[in-house]
Amino acid sequence: MSAQLKDVIIKPDAPSSLLLDKHADYIAAYGSKKDDYVSKSVSSSVLVQGKMDTINVDKAVEFVLSCMNFDGGFGCRPGSESHAGQIYCCTGFLSLTGQLHQLNADLLGWWLCERQLPSGGLNGRPEKLPDVCYSWWVLASLKIIGRIHWIDKAKLRRFILACQDEETGGFADRPGDMVDPFHTLFGVAGLSLLGDEQIKAVNPVLCMPEDVLQRIGLQPDLLS
Amino acid sequence: QHGRVKVKTTAQQEEEKRKEREKKLQIYVAARDACFTKRKDGVFDDEALQLTQQLLSSNPDFATLWNYRREILLHLETVRNQDEVQKIYEAELSFLESCLKVNPKSYGSWHHRGWVSARLPRPDWARELSLCDRCLSLDDRNFHCWDYRRMVVKMSGVPVKQELDFTDRLIGSNFSNYSSWHYRSTLLPLLHPQAPDTPSQCGNPPPSASPQTHFHRVCEEQLLKEYELVQNAFFTDPNDQSAWFYYRWLLGRAERDEMISCVYVSREEERVAVAFSRPVNAQSVGLLLILDGQPQRVEWQSVHPHFKNSPVWICSLPPGTISDVANEHNLTVHWTEKHSHRDCALYTGRSESWCRDTATDLELFRSELSVEKTSVLQSELQSVRQLQELEPLNKWCLLTIILLMRALDPLGYEKETLAHFQTLKDVDSMRSAYYSDLCSKFMIENTILKMEYAEVRVFSISDRKLTTLCHLDQLLLVTHINLSSNQLQQLPPQFAMLQCLEVRIGTLFFLLFFINLNSEISTLADLQPLASCPKLKRLDLRGNPITQTTNAEAELAGLLPSVTDLLL
Repeated sequence: MSAQLKDVIIKPDAPSSLLLDKHADYIAAYGSKKDDYVSKSVSSSVLVQGKMDTINVDKAVEFVLSCMNFDGGFGCRPGSESHAGQIYCCTGFLSLTGQLHQLNADLLGWWLCERQLPSGGLNGRPEKLPDVCYSWWVLASLKIIGRIHWIDKAKLRRFILACQDEETGGFADRPGDMVDPFHTLFGVAGLSLLGDEQIKAVNPVLCMPEDVLQRIGLQPDLLS
Repeated sequence: QHGRVKVKTTAQQEEEKRKEREKKLQIYVAARDACFTKRKDGVFDDEALQLTQQLLSSNPDFATLWNYRREILLHLETVRNQDEVQKIYEAELSFLESCLKVNPKSYGSWHHRGWVSARLPRPDWARELSLCDRCLSLDDRNFHCWDYRRMVVKMSGVPVKQELDFTDRLIGSNFSNYSSWHYRSTLLPLLHPQAPDTPSQCGNPPPSASPQTHFHRVCEEQLLKEYELVQNAFFTDPNDQSAWFYYRWLLGRAERDEMISCVYVSREEERVAVAFSRPVNAQSVGLLLILDGQPQRVEWQSVHPHFKNSPVWICSLPPGTISDVANEHNLTVHWTEKHSHRDCALYTGRSESWCRDTATDLELFRSELSVEKTSVLQSELQSVRQLQELEPLNKWCLLTIILLMRALDPLGYEKETLAHFQTLKDVDSMRSAYYSDLCSKFMIENTILKMEYAEVRVFSISDRKLTTLCHLDQLLLVTHINLSSNQLQQLPPQFAMLQCLEVRIGTLFFLLFFINLNSEISTLADLQPLASCPKLKRLDLRGNPITQTTNAEAELAGLLPSVTDLLL
């Protein structure tokens, strides 16, 4: 008996074009309903950027590097298994501290591009289901280390679009599930990284529009 | 939220659900507000414990409430005796167990359990370990549980061997083993470290935690046993990707020793170039240049326009220092931080000189092979080849065969390697760009290896479907480069590491800097890195889209003023 590959099937009637207006309506309406509760906040590294001199950067770099694993990835703590979310945090951190050369970009890039499943979607670690938020965690990491071309962009785009809800607007973690703002953000950001011209360019390190960062003169390192 | 399927309901069902949610919300909000009020007022009573328990049972991700609960418990520690505290914390563990049964993946619950276990006056680590066993038997990919287990092991001194045996059991009985193999990768070097073989490694912790530094310090005897273990796994189930990932790690090599790999000096330009075994920031590693016994005050510049860390650095000597060809000079570059240095003698009558690492290049790209290891890898190659015949569509087999061939004989297997890459791209087309880049890397490595036997100043690699350039730090001395008939779309900024690139007219090897006919070099930006190659005189761009742009010649002349021979 062999290990079965976990993946989803994209139905033929899944959304295949970007429903921008619907998503705009979804986000605008969100939070105005009484029974929505505040979702877990995603920590921003902008704060770190502004207060870089208050932390011991060398020690912080040392800690992050001690979380590097046999496969080139990073886990929560030293000794923890590699996970795309942690990898995103660590590569972003190493970019902000000018330490990207400490990565093994080829090895990590391979691990990251192996997140892509036959459906085109990306998972967060081996033998897990694909999830649209990994279109951000994995894709942005690949962009930071200069290997975004190692995944099949067309197939990923098809997966992300299939995660849209044509009725309510917004994106879900996978086709057919309930939408939420978290996955909507990362679905849209992922499409931007893939080069969708209807969406502003997003910076992979800070997950913010590039034009905003240009305005304040912030250009984190990226590997080529 | 993850994994919530959207279910369609009638308007009436929607309304009923809404009313129910509304009621629950009111209760929840009341309890939550009560907690916050109590906390603000510094109240740490039983009611607070009950309220937080009630809320956390249904929402263990509410971190603030765990924080408050810990404040209550800390307070209780000050007003109860040790036996009472023991009971309180045991009750806490019991509460946590019920939380974990409902949601075994809550960061809040696991963190709190770790906190409680560390504060328990008489902890029962065996029970905690058995909790981990049970939890992992239900889901052996639960990283919260694995992390908690690692803490328990550390706190209670469980022997590494015992944990290694635990991974053996899991790997033997379950599929989806990535977490177990990962754990193994951290345990092996602890139990079977490789004996340090150079003084710089003895007793010193690895300079940086990288997969190579940390994890290749496994002694050979154990490494060979591990090959066998992994092979059993992927032969039992060729689609079990964790085993193949782990195997790739085993086939890899330890990081190179840190050193200055090459020093180059040009009399005419009065310039020194230094190549390191890894990227460094010359400004902060204590780089010292001694000329004829005298320390020189020089400004080190990275060849990479943006990065502070680079494997190649250059500096200029004061004018007149070494320009007289009648004088001999002795140079030493010191990497004081690593107690490493390299000498370079510039003889009379010579316009340039260099000194490079004489360690065989074979160890540059792969690890040294003992007779035993060679024999083991050869039989592995044979076995995986047999497996590949049974499973022609299995990409892991194909990739592993390539990796084994690289480890055994990169030059000897070059043709086969290319053929396998082609098959790999057909079998796993989503990742064909990765395979193209990996193949390019291996072909470049082979070319560098061949240079050792031929001419160190000529780098010629044409018609190899190159999609990327790498190892440019190895090409510091190269004067002639031929990259014709490849698929390069742009030149990386690291191209500036080719400090010696030039034309030598009249020799057999003309500088022919070709960019492929099928290539996509179409904008000025694609050629930007060439502006950092000071000696580049001849450039042949025929067949590239850029030649079709209006004003190409003038723009290129502006970008590359030193190029006198431009073919469009």
